[in-house]
Amino acid sequence: MEIVVFTKRVPVTQEEELRILGDGQSVDLSKLPHRMNDWDNYAVEEAVKLIEKGGGGVTSVAIGDSESDEVLRRAIAMGARDGFLLEANEVLQDPFARATLTYNFLKKENMPFDAIFTGVQAEDEQFACFGGILAALLKIPYAAQVIGIDAVEKDHFVVRRELEGGLQERVKVSLPCLLSIQSGINEPRYVSIMGVRKASKVERKVFKASNYTDSGKSLVEITKWVYPPKKEGAAMLAGDVGEICSKLFAILKEKGVYQ
Amino acid sequence: MNSERVLACMQCGKCTGSCPEAGKTPFNIRMIVRKKQFQRAIEEDLPWYCTSCSTCTIRCPRDVKPSEVIIDLRSALIEDGRIPASIQKALESTFVQKNPWGKPRSKRAEWTGKVDFEIPHISETKERRLLFTCCIQAYDPRCMVIPANVSRLLHSAGMEFGILGEEEACCGNEIRRMGEAGLFEELREENLANFKEYGVNEIITLSPHCMNTFRKEYGDLGIRVSHYSEVVQGLLERGAVKLESRYEKKVVYHDPCFLGKQNAIFDEPRTLLAKALGTNSLEFSRMRDNSLCCEGGGGRMFFDVETTYQRNSESRVKEALEMGAEVIATSCPFCVMNLEDPATEKGLSVKEVSEILVEVI
Repeated sequence: MEIVVFTKRVPVTQEEELRILGDGQSVDLSKLPHRMNDWDNYAVEEAVKLIEKGGGGVTSVAIGDSESDEVLRRAIAMGARDGFLLEANEVLQDPFARATLTYNFLKKENMPFDAIFTGVQAEDEQFACFGGILAALLKIPYAAQVIGIDAVEKDHFVVRRELEGGLQERVKVSLPCLLSIQSGINEPRYVSIMGVRKASKVERKVFKASNYTDSGKSLVEITKWVYPPKKEGAAMLAGDVGEICSKLFAILKEKGVYQ
Repeated sequence: MNSERVLACMQCGKCTGSCPEAGKTPFNIRMIVRKKQFQRAIEEDLPWYCTSCSTCTIRCPRDVKPSEVIIDLRSALIEDGRIPASIQKALESTFVQKNPWGKPRSKRAEWTGKVDFEIPHISETKERRLLFTCCIQAYDPRCMVIPANVSRLLHSAGMEFGILGEEEACCGNEIRRMGEAGLFEELREENLANFKEYGVNEIITLSPHCMNTFRKEYGDLGIRVSHYSEVVQGLLERGAVKLESRYEKKVVYHDPCFLGKQNAIFDEPRTLLAKALGTNSLEFSRMRDNSLCCEGGGGRMFFDVETTYQRNSESRVKEALEMGAEVIATSCPFCVMNLEDPATEKGLSVKEVSEILVEVI
């Protein structure tokens, strides 16, 4: 089985105080560390687990600048056979543009695949629609938020999808297909630094995104980055414990929390 | 690798006899070395029990270095990608943010807001004396007081020093002991590059773990590396730091493994305490090179062991109470973290030595 997995290099923004540059043109990501998108990590692990069991190969693909090679090395260290970088100088935030570029690339390079895995969403933009758009363009079946692959047959998968309210749906998906993989589907293996260094010796092919972008017009235009409006600060109650309790009690009564 | 060295083992049992985990957990270092000798499989969870206290290595009569055998076992598991999730998280966080807690690197110098004087970047100092903060002291609210207190002590003595701020990376002592040799190498190279770029002449460490790795695992640094207790003792002797009052509580001192038995710094923290107390601190029955490990080293801060047994920190607290101590003093952030929970439960307080000193200057 041939599986193509899309991997994205994203900035780590947790607990960071992000700064908007200039008049809202961009966010300063220059000092932030980057890593593989968490959902993609699960997608690579799931693909590698499948080929370890049933044979075949995993190809990891990343769209981004040359730094994105980092996530390809990681995917190879996890067990992917090879890595392709679609090198784009401009940041493609629009998922439609990314999907169109990818569609053109897969068609033009005549890339064989039985399945395509993506993460459910990327940590940076959180559009969660790259996979769906790509599947529509490729005219192949698509299952979103896959939390388990229960059966792998010659012409189909049986997968479990995570639905709202804790429900799961078991569906049969014909191959070739596209699955967006939910985090928690597996426990991604640890990738050591030595492992990544060894993976660096495996050649990663670089393709210029500009060769595949003829029809990939953006549907989304970012007009301005703005900070969320500041809310009023918390009211601090002063006084001794008795006074504070009385004031708190009065506020709770006033707001209708306590009758 | 220590695979050949294990053949020298004569199974005398000194390692297990002195191991803080033996007998109460499934971890038996003598058995592990035996299995290595005969190339038998070793259960995957066992190596993670080791606290890297190194007592086995120090006491081994055949120089088998059992604690290094454990690091090799962990390395093999790491290369296979099969490690406990909490250890994995700590290692991945260290790779991304250069600290095992995954806190932003940009906030590494936030602790400096706790003192009312400027702490310069190392490049802005004349003497190029580096105060190496390291991770737990930079981010953990309980341990952030340690760099602030040591800074106050050095500042009061007029000693110039600087920090690396957000350029500082984890020292890697625990990372190496968790078996991630490649990541340790990256951290080491990053820190060495900074030491070189800023012409660092001297390093003062807050954690004995940083001191240990700088002294023994960073190669020939050509830079003097001290634990702050050594530096402050010198300042006290010269009269540069003056103690204005007495600390009036009964204090017992707990030797951290990486400061005491692994680096033979027993007297300096005791001298500091004696000056602050006006008398010698109390002693545990297991002290100095026979001190009982707090179980926080070698990655154990990140590996949850099911507690069906009495923790060493609980034994320490019990003994401290029996001897009438009111405070357990120690000089390592990991020991502080491990001792504090059981101590608080019993109404005892745990103080890092610098916390006691700043109360009396």
